[in-house]
Amino acid sequence: MNFDNWLLVFILLSSFVTGLIIFFLKEEAHRLRTLLNLFGALLKVVLVGVMIVGVQADHVYESRLELLPGLDLVLRADAMSVLFATLSSVLWLVTTLYAVGYLEGEPHRSRFFGFFSICVSATTGVALAGNLMTFLIFYELLTLSTYPLVVHRGTEKSLQAGRTYLIYTLSGGALLLLGTVWLHTLAGPVEFSLGGALAQVATQHRSELIAIFALLITGLGVKAALFPLHGWLPQAMVAPAPVSALLHAVAVVKAGAFGIVRVVYDLFGVHTAEALGVLAPLAGIAAFTIVYGSVRALFQDDLKRRLAFSTVSQVSYIALGTALFGYLSTIGGLTHLVHQGIMKITLFFCAGIFAHTLGVHKVSEMAGLGLRMPWSMAAFTIAALGMIGVPPFAGFVSKWYIGMGAVGSGSYWAVAILAASSALNAAYFLPILHAAWFKKRVDPWPADHAHGVGEGHWMLLAPPLITAALVVAAGVLANAPFSPLEWARHITEIEYGK
Amino acid sequence: MNFPDFSAALLLGAIALPLLLAAGMARRGWRSCLLMLAPWAALPALVVVFVVPQGTAAYFPWLFFGSHLGFDQTGYIFLLFTSTLWLLSGLFAQTYLADDTKLSRFFAFYLLAMAGNFGLILAQDLVTFYVFFSLMSFSSYVLVIHNGETESLRAGRIYLCLVVLGELMLFAAMVTMATNANSVLLRDAIAVPMNDVTLALLLFGFGIKAGALPLHIWLPLAHPAAPVPASAVLSGAMIKAGLLGWIRFLPLGLEAFPQWGALVMGAGLAAAFFGALVGVTQTNPKTVLAYSSISQMGLITIAVGGVLTVPSLWPTLIMAILIYALHHALAKGALFLGVGVASHTASRTQRLWLLVGMLVPALALIGAPFTSGAIAKTALKTDLTSLPTPWADVLQIALPLAAVGTSLLMARFLWLLWSKPAALGHSRAGLWITWSLLLVAVALIAWILPIANGSAQDAVKFDKIWAGLWPLAVGILMASVALVRSDRGGGIRYPEIPAGDWLALFTWAAPYTARMGRTLASDTLTDLWNTTTASMFQALRRPAPDQSWSRMEDCLKNWSVAGMTLLCISVILYLLTSAW
Repeated sequence: MNFDNWLLVFILLSSFVTGLIIFFLKEEAHRLRTLLNLFGALLKVVLVGVMIVGVQADHVYESRLELLPGLDLVLRADAMSVLFATLSSVLWLVTTLYAVGYLEGEPHRSRFFGFFSICVSATTGVALAGNLMTFLIFYELLTLSTYPLVVHRGTEKSLQAGRTYLIYTLSGGALLLLGTVWLHTLAGPVEFSLGGALAQVATQHRSELIAIFALLITGLGVKAALFPLHGWLPQAMVAPAPVSALLHAVAVVKAGAFGIVRVVYDLFGVHTAEALGVLAPLAGIAAFTIVYGSVRALFQDDLKRRLAFSTVSQVSYIALGTALFGYLSTIGGLTHLVHQGIMKITLFFCAGIFAHTLGVHKVSEMAGLGLRMPWSMAAFTIAALGMIGVPPFAGFVSKWYIGMGAVGSGSYWAVAILAASSALNAAYFLPILHAAWFKKRVDPWPADHAHGVGEGHWMLLAPPLITAALVVAAGVLANAPFSPLEWARHITEIEYGK
Repeated sequence: MNFPDFSAALLLGAIALPLLLAAGMARRGWRSCLLMLAPWAALPALVVVFVVPQGTAAYFPWLFFGSHLGFDQTGYIFLLFTSTLWLLSGLFAQTYLADDTKLSRFFAFYLLAMAGNFGLILAQDLVTFYVFFSLMSFSSYVLVIHNGETESLRAGRIYLCLVVLGELMLFAAMVTMATNANSVLLRDAIAVPMNDVTLALLLFGFGIKAGALPLHIWLPLAHPAAPVPASAVLSGAMIKAGLLGWIRFLPLGLEAFPQWGALVMGAGLAAAFFGALVGVTQTNPKTVLAYSSISQMGLITIAVGGVLTVPSLWPTLIMAILIYALHHALAKGALFLGVGVASHTASRTQRLWLLVGMLVPALALIGAPFTSGAIAKTALKTDLTSLPTPWADVLQIALPLAAVGTSLLMARFLWLLWSKPAALGHSRAGLWITWSLLLVAVALIAWILPIANGSAQDAVKFDKIWAGLWPLAVGILMASVALVRSDRGGGIRYPEIPAGDWLALFTWAAPYTARMGRTLASDTLTDLWNTTTASMFQALRRPAPDQSWSRMEDCLKNWSVAGMTLLCISVILYLLTSAW
């Protein structure tokens, strides 16, 4: 047995098996479940670490299983998949910690953590998928495994949100399937490869390929919340905070954005996509979504809803960076894949703490939060400033590179879009920060579970502090080896064949 | 450790020490100790000025996008006055705010802004400059709103809006420069020919910080709102960050931009007079000083515009700009701290001493003979006379007139300070000591500075003494007439111009424009209009009705609509892309 062939399978199984075992645990087996959860998450991080080191040393990790004749299930580790796999496994670890603290004493925890683990396995599968078919399978698995998480509370509102979620994502999946099958008939089994795989096909089947691209991007655009396919995302925020964190930063939205990146760079190839002329419309839609999401976020009083619209906007930075044809914007887009994740997860963690500990759900109830919970609010502040793009936090780094890419390709309008979005981000984040830090609290907290003093539970507090530290580190040490920026540069060099 | 390494470490240390102290403030137990140390965090920067040789450079490859720090002649002068001011204002604040309940918060952000100010002076690449510029701008928001009163909060809000606006302009400009030069190094970035849009973005982006017309509106609100020691660094040191931005980022001395140069000179000239004219109508002494800053920065702006017009003037004009910046920073700092001393005077004798002391920076600002102002103005005037017509002739007349304006401003300021005694409080020795130290610096520093040598010798010539004297005399005469008339009860009626001048027009007009919009537009547009105007200019956080948007969202939730939309989108995408 060759370890290199099995590593990727182990990475998948580390969370999948954990999830299956957790289903069969009794509801009261709190310790065992937590232990299993953390063990699975840690094991995954370690295995992904092994994979990173291996990929750096030019090891080839590949696992192959024949589904049908001529159609393989392929797992492969390349620079791009490592980026996403690392993000999701590290964030899953902190989210697990957070979820354990958050759901303390609530019913159906075995169900929750079971699906939680499966959801992450699916995400890792999406990251490691070596061809479109494999990608699709894990992508659909992700949809199905997140549904129980969205409707976890079982209220009318969450069921409604779950329905919307399914409608959107399954229709998106159907389009994706259609595109995949069409492409298969056209070009046979096509595997992802850095630099693209369809350059030859493009010369003969130009219009078909354009149609396929449209189908694939529309299908992926649902999860990536591109306008006007974003409707499910603000609704899904009725789910518990750890699920929101998962949806927005680790798994679902990211899987969509990652899919777009994969399709553009590793399926079509950025040069082919540019030659087909499909990048400019994608850039246009992304740019519109960026502004639209920000404008909508401005008018939300519900904190999580505001954050949800902010995600709509910020995830499109990734699509914009991808679609602006240029070396530097690619770096920016890929970096933002990671940076948006760590910033948004911090914000949702904090929103969860505010709701869980003090019953604060609305922006208008946040006055004086900074004095009550200085650490949580500090984490929130760092992430919010990062979202605006204030240097030296993570968001600035990716924005800078997308901006450079825009200038480099002569798309000055995209710089204007970035500036407008930053202004809007400032308009909906800075008042929150002002109220939380500098306004005097007059009314009592809506529901104070901590009896008048202090922060939330340490299991709730530690995760946002860790991710906020990452937000700072990713910006301040942007040039250090192993920073997301460096890794994105590495990938981009391969994609553009430098 | 050999010497170059030591210098490099010192550059980083000068920025890092205030940052570390600020971070330490997070821990409650350390606060009382750190509060004692806080002002001294500026000391390493002052040590840099005297120890580190000019031309030292340091590179930190892991920091930001690879951070370049360096110490050159411009940095030398800027760091000299900046660190002096931060140190003395900090010491002043220790006494002045000793009873303040929010002292820790004040010093935490004072230290952050200090680190930002030092960092941007030492930065030699775009990103490092931008990082520290933002750090300084955002941290000083907390200093502006320190007392938490409604007026300060409003000032803070307007300040923050303009900070964000400036940040965005600079972001766009810097991204363009970095891409075109394929380097983040400042010296590479300015070597590439600059387009008009970038130039405009830089002029406006840094102009906000420098209080240039017409983006100065935040300044007369924010500088007076902050506590006295913070006003001193805002108006003395931080305002110069905008000037430094121009010096570092504009291709000064490399390329000629005659139209832009004329525009900048015009704006500077306008600011010099506008600041003085609006300033004399103010009733708060700190607001008078803020308008004086606008006026003085206007004079420096003229010099920047001059270089944009005639690049060959750069080597001499930069000296004049540096001397002027140094002189204004220290004098303005001393004036602001003096306001703080005034609120703690215990007797009439002390008030007399205060007035005598105040004369030192006030006369310097006017440019009276034998002051630092005389040296600075001599340097500036000498170089500006070589501008092409009509500028040389216009400035020949305008600059002395501006000095008359400044002397009126100073007269107004001293009169306000004298006639409106703050409740006579405890006299505090600490305030007098730090203030006197700054006065000594104002009086002496320009005379002992090597780069000002030539101008200093020039300034004591007879014609230059006369040139400094007559605007002062005219100013005193006019002020005396005004004083005598007001003593007889026939005071001069000033038009009441609120601080922030044209901003007031806007706040006054906002309800009317909103009403106009309502009659003109449909419901949807009205909502949008209301929410935009409301959110931008009044209460950034008032939740607004957005039924039309929600209706659209509700619609999108619908199953059939969602399906149809999906289908339509793919069709449209297809059509779009194949048409491309």
